[in-house]
Formats: sequence, C-alpha cells, structure tokens
Amino acid sequence: MTWLGAVPALPGGHGAAHVDALLLTAFDGVEADFVCTHIDRLGPVAVTALSAHVTGEVDVDRLSEALGGPVVVLDSPDSPGIPDSPAARAARAGRDRTDGRCIRFPGQSTLTGTHPAAEVVAGSAIDRVVGIGVPVSPTDRVETLGFLRPLCQDGELVLLVEPAVGGVLRPTEAESPHECCGGH
Amino acid sequence: MSHHHPHDHTHEHHHEEVEGSWRDGQDDRPLSVARRRFLAGLGAAGVATTLGATPAHAHDDRPATPVNPWSGRGRWYAGDHHIHTKYSQDGQYEVAQQVAKAREYGMDWLVITDHGSVAHEKFSIGQITPDIEQARRSHRDVLVYQGLEWNIPGAEHATVFLPPGRSTVDILQAFEAAYDGALLSTPVANGGKGLITRSTSADGEPYALAALRYLEAQVLSGRTEIALMFANHPARRGVDSPHEFRGWRDAAPDVAVGMEGAPGHQAAGIRKADGGNGTGRGGYDASPNQDSFPGYAPTATENPYRTYGGFDWMTAKVGGLWDSLLAEGRPWWVTATSDAHRVHQDTFTPGTGDHGKTGSRGAPIDTGTPQVQSDYWPGFYSSTLVGANSKSYVDVMRGMQSGKVVAVHGRIIDGLNLRVRSLGEGDNRGVTIGGRTFVRRGDDVEVVIEVDLARGANFAGMVPRLAKVDLIAGPITGPVVDRDAFSAPATKVVKSFEVARTARGTVKFTHAFRGVEGAFYLRLRGSDGNKLTSDGHPVMDVIGDADPWSDLWFYANPVFVDVI
Repeated sequence: MTWLGAVPALPGGHGAAHVDALLLTAFDGVEADFVCTHIDRLGPVAVTALSAHVTGEVDVDRLSEALGGPVVVLDSPDSPGIPDSPAARAARAGRDRTDGRCIRFPGQSTLTGTHPAAEVVAGSAIDRVVGIGVPVSPTDRVETLGFLRPLCQDGELVLLVEPAVGGVLRPTEAESPHECCGGH
Repeated sequence: MSHHHPHDHTHEHHHEEVEGSWRDGQDDRPLSVARRRFLAGLGAAGVATTLGATPAHAHDDRPATPVNPWSGRGRWYAGDHHIHTKYSQDGQYEVAQQVAKAREYGMDWLVITDHGSVAHEKFSIGQITPDIEQARRSHRDVLVYQGLEWNIPGAEHATVFLPPGRSTVDILQAFEAAYDGALLSTPVANGGKGLITRSTSADGEPYALAALRYLEAQVLSGRTEIALMFANHPARRGVDSPHEFRGWRDAAPDVAVGMEGAPGHQAAGIRKADGGNGTGRGGYDASPNQDSFPGYAPTATENPYRTYGGFDWMTAKVGGLWDSLLAEGRPWWVTATSDAHRVHQDTFTPGTGDHGKTGSRGAPIDTGTPQVQSDYWPGFYSSTLVGANSKSYVDVMRGMQSGKVVAVHGRIIDGLNLRVRSLGEGDNRGVTIGGRTFVRRGDDVEVVIEVDLARGANFAGMVPRLAKVDLIAGPITGPVVDRDAFSAPATKVVKSFEVARTARGTVKFTHAFRGVEGAFYLRLRGSDGNKLTSDGHPVMDVIGDADPWSDLWFYANPVFVDVI
C-alpha cells in the first residue's frame, strides 16, 4: 500500500484518452486502485507526470521500463528522504488529492451509462458532482458515455459536469474532443 | 432608453485644428505635454512603462490627433480571414470553390489560410499561389489575400497575411520555414527543425515573438506595405496564455492586432436530431492539456473551453480576458470567421491525394450526398465587417489594423455607425469604432449609436431581429503588473438599449458619460435576445444542442477615451 509517482514517456500527437490507455497498460499486473495524471509546470516546458496508489507488490524497475521514465515510491507519510522531482511531486499530489486528473479510481467500471448524480457519488470514489453554471441535484442524470476523469481538488475527487443535449449532464472532459487540425 | 429614429439625421462638428488647444504641437503647457506623452504610450504621468513598444497609434512628438475620426457613415466591407482549401491536410476545397462561394454569400475580401506544416511549406505554397492568382482574375470584385494559418510556437493558431506584392510569397514562405510551430517541433528526421518540444509547449514562446518582429521588419524595410496577425480560436485548448497575447501585441503592435472574437465551425453544435454534428459549437469541446494556461481551468461558474453565444469566452465574458487587454489602453481587436474546412450539408468530400507527400488533398470528390459537417461557407454565417477608405488590399488591411471592425453572426445587423465625442472641451468631432478620442477632465462624453438592422433575410432564410444593444465600458488602468492577468473587474455593461419590435431600418441610441474623471474605453455588443443569462450575458453553448441561428450576436471593437 503505497503511493508512487512517475514521469512517463508520452507519444506525441494523440488525444488524452489515448495516452491514458497507454499509461494504464503499463500498470498491467500492478494492483493500483487510483491512477492520476498531473501537469508539472515547474520546468521550462510542462511535463505530464503520473501518480498511483498501489495496493499490492510492485516491481518498480519493470514499471519504470513500461512507463519509459523514472518511478518514485513514497515509503512513509512524509518520505523525508525523497528528493523533490516531478515524479515525487506527482506522488504527493495524488496522495493528498491536491491536484490531478484521475484516470482510474474505485467504482469507475460501474459508471459507464447514465446515472443519477447521487449514484455517481455513492457508487464510486467521486466525492462530489459539480455542475458548471448549474446546480446539481441528486436525481439529475449524468451521462458518462463510458468516460470519467474526475479531478483532485482540495483533498476531494470532483467530477465537473455541464448541461448537454437531452437535458442531461455530461462530464466536461470528453473522450474524443474535436480533432485539432494543424500540421503535426 | 430606446427609440426608433429616422435613417437620416443632422449633426455638427468641428473640423478645424484649434490653435492653443492641446492639439497645438507648439503648446508646451504641461497638460498638453502630458497628453501627448500619454498618447505616445508613456503614460499620463510621463513614467516610462515596461512595454517594449509604443502603441500603434502613437505620434511621438507631433501633436496627438484623434484616431479613427468620425466622418459620417462609412462603408463596411464584409470578409473572412480564416479559410482552408485542399492544401490543408484537413481541408478539401479548391481555392476557386471557396472564393466563388464567399462571393455568393456577400464577401468583399477573404484570406486563404491553410495550415502551416512541413508539407505545406515544402509543397503547398508553390501550388496555392497560382490558384489564388487565378481566383483573383476570375473574381475581380473580391479581394483574395494569400495568408497562412500559423501554428504560433507555444500557442494556438493564427491568421497571418499580407497584401499582394512582389515579395508576398517569399515573406510568407520564409516566415513559415523559420517560425511555424509545426516545423519547429517536427524532428529533423521528419523534415522539421526539432527545436521545440511541442508546437504548443512554452519553449516555443520566444520564436513567436521573433516571428512577429520578423513580419514587422518586412514592413519597416518596405518589402510589404503591411502585415497582420490575428490569433485564431484563442480559448479552444487554453494554450494562449494572457502573457502571450501581451507579448505578441507588444513585440509587433502594428502586426499582431487581434483575435477571433468568434471562432468558425459554428454549425458544429447543431443537434444530431436536426441533422447536425451534435458536438461543441465552434468545435469547442476540449478540456485542459499540459500546455494549457492553468488559470483557464473550468470551474463551477464557467468553462473557458466553450463558446458563449457562439463567441470565444475571452471575448464573450464582460470583464474577461479581452477587457483585461483593453483596460491597458492598448488596441486588441476581435473578428468573426468561418474556418471553413468542410461545409455542413455540402456534398463534397476530400480528394485522395497524400497531403504529406504532395502538399494537396487533390481535387475534392462530389458524392452527390449532403455531408454532416461543422462549418459554413465564408459569409454564410460569420462576417467580419471592416470600415475602409476603399476596397483595396492595403486599405482593407489598414481598416483592420485600426480596429474599424465589427464581428457579426447571421446578419444580426447590416452595419453600425458609432460616434464618441467630447461635449465640452476636447475632441468635439469625435471618433468611431477602433478610435481614440479625448475629453477635458470633468466634461461629458456623448455616445451616438446608429445600428442598421438587417434589411433582409440571412442565409437561414429568416430576417434576424436585434433585441438589444449593450454599451460596455471600463476604466483604462494602464499596463498590468501581472502579465498573466485576465480580468478587468471594473468593466461593466453600463446601459442596455432595447430595440423596439417594430423597429426597421436604422435605430439610434445615445448615451452620455457625465463628468468624466478618468480615461476609459467603451464597446458595443448586440443580441437577438433569444439566449441570455439573467444578467443579459450570453449563455454557455450546450454540447450537442446549439442552434447557431437562434443565438445571434455582434461585437464591435472599442473606442478609447483619454482625459486631458
């Protein structure tokens, strides 16, 4: 039971959902109930880092190889001996839920259809469903479209939703947003 | 306060330069000196600012003159600075098709803006140049500019364009080769430069500033009379940080002059049940990525990654990013474009060419079957109205550079005549949209707004009805300390004018700012009134349910009022 952080090597030119799938593939064989991505902006160029809560044994070398980057394990609550790095910062942010975008969390697999907001909270690690510009009542329907990316904010896991066609709420992050053009 | 007014009206104003007034360059009274220094960008107190450049309208040591002086009813030229062809990897049309359609839909001027890319720089430019020349010959009544949709290093896309000239193509190609974010971020092995991490990553930002200075240098050296840049779909991915806008503007204030107030792809939000694409209006359905500015993260109150009434959040939010730039007292203009790649319900699909190898998709294929797409033809829905002295390449660009620009959707208006003037001592003739006028401290400023209502149906077949005009104003607070500031909390809707249901032709509204004590700016927007928040603001467009024709707005560019 520990939190780890990593700075994975990412393929360019693909959508976030595609990257998420690659990251989760690297966790094949690793028991992890929370996996989040974090954006580390302390360097000259923003870097995507990752945190994960590992519930079983983990072969750090193998995971590091699968992710294509360094992995840091927080072995005690304060982890005083671990030098500051993007991976360590990600691990702490995930552990404390101060920041991050959750790509795996308990209850995620049961929330693939349209569910009342109350069920989203009751049946998963999501603490709150927050509407953009609209209040959310427990009976309001959340159309997940099989893709949920709640955010860590102030120690909570928050799902941001917004009104969508059909009188439902949809998560603000969509799996396949408009493909951006450009010549890359 | 609202009333219908006959089309014609009389007015009086002073044309003469007044000896002994602040405009007299020989006048060395401190107030006049301070006033001239203010206009020269040095600030009213004469304190040198940290900005590297003077405003576009500075007149250095000459007596300051009002910018965009009011001169009666000017002529508007409708156009579109963001259009794609088969020379974009995600485009499909021939240049000739786009120009013919744009002309059919009333456009006076167009900019062809295919995406910058390794293949575009290498293969497309040589093909598109003769196509554009041919289109000019075929449609002599339409100005067809050659441009580029530049991948701004470190940021979003932008329109860059020049008037036709001996060096136009050379400048565009050299610009793309040296400064396009796609080329800079593509590895050398793939034909790029491999100098920056990603097209949108922060290590590209210095290249963007160098790029704009390069364009300015082409103007200063006389290789081109003018060059302009407008940031496109600025909030779509959140990658245009506030400090980047300020950086571009200050690096080349005569080149980097504005942004799309409204993005193209306005058909994208039409419901699937109504035969539409059912996505985000404007193609705005993204969420933050690693290169997004963290301050734009969606919150419980707003989502900057969505359009509001079809307009980009940066423009649509009163007291938001656009106002934050304007409150510095410096120009930054907004436009509306089509971004036409593939037109909704058109029957064409892309050709079979390999863009990466040839720079072209090849001739588009007419399937005979209407396609579900996200775009409208140039002029069909979005118009950028430009006030210009003549319909010539340079004059229309000068009009855009000077901010005589109104962004219009669905023909919600046909024209707009704005006059802002001092009723006391100061500029009694006044100025119009994009202008800069002055008033003596404590005097009154009069605003006269004449709106030409739509005289006929738009291209959805309905005569749109303007329901209201908002007069928005805020104090000029000078250069920001925090270059990433993106709010202007003191900017407010000061007055909403209701347009009578029975109104036809031209409606006139007036407003006076009494006893003006400090420099301020004002701007106008108008709506069909169909979708408003309780405060009268535009509503965030709903994903998959945004009929663009039932939510029409116009946004006019500001007038700055200095106090002497």
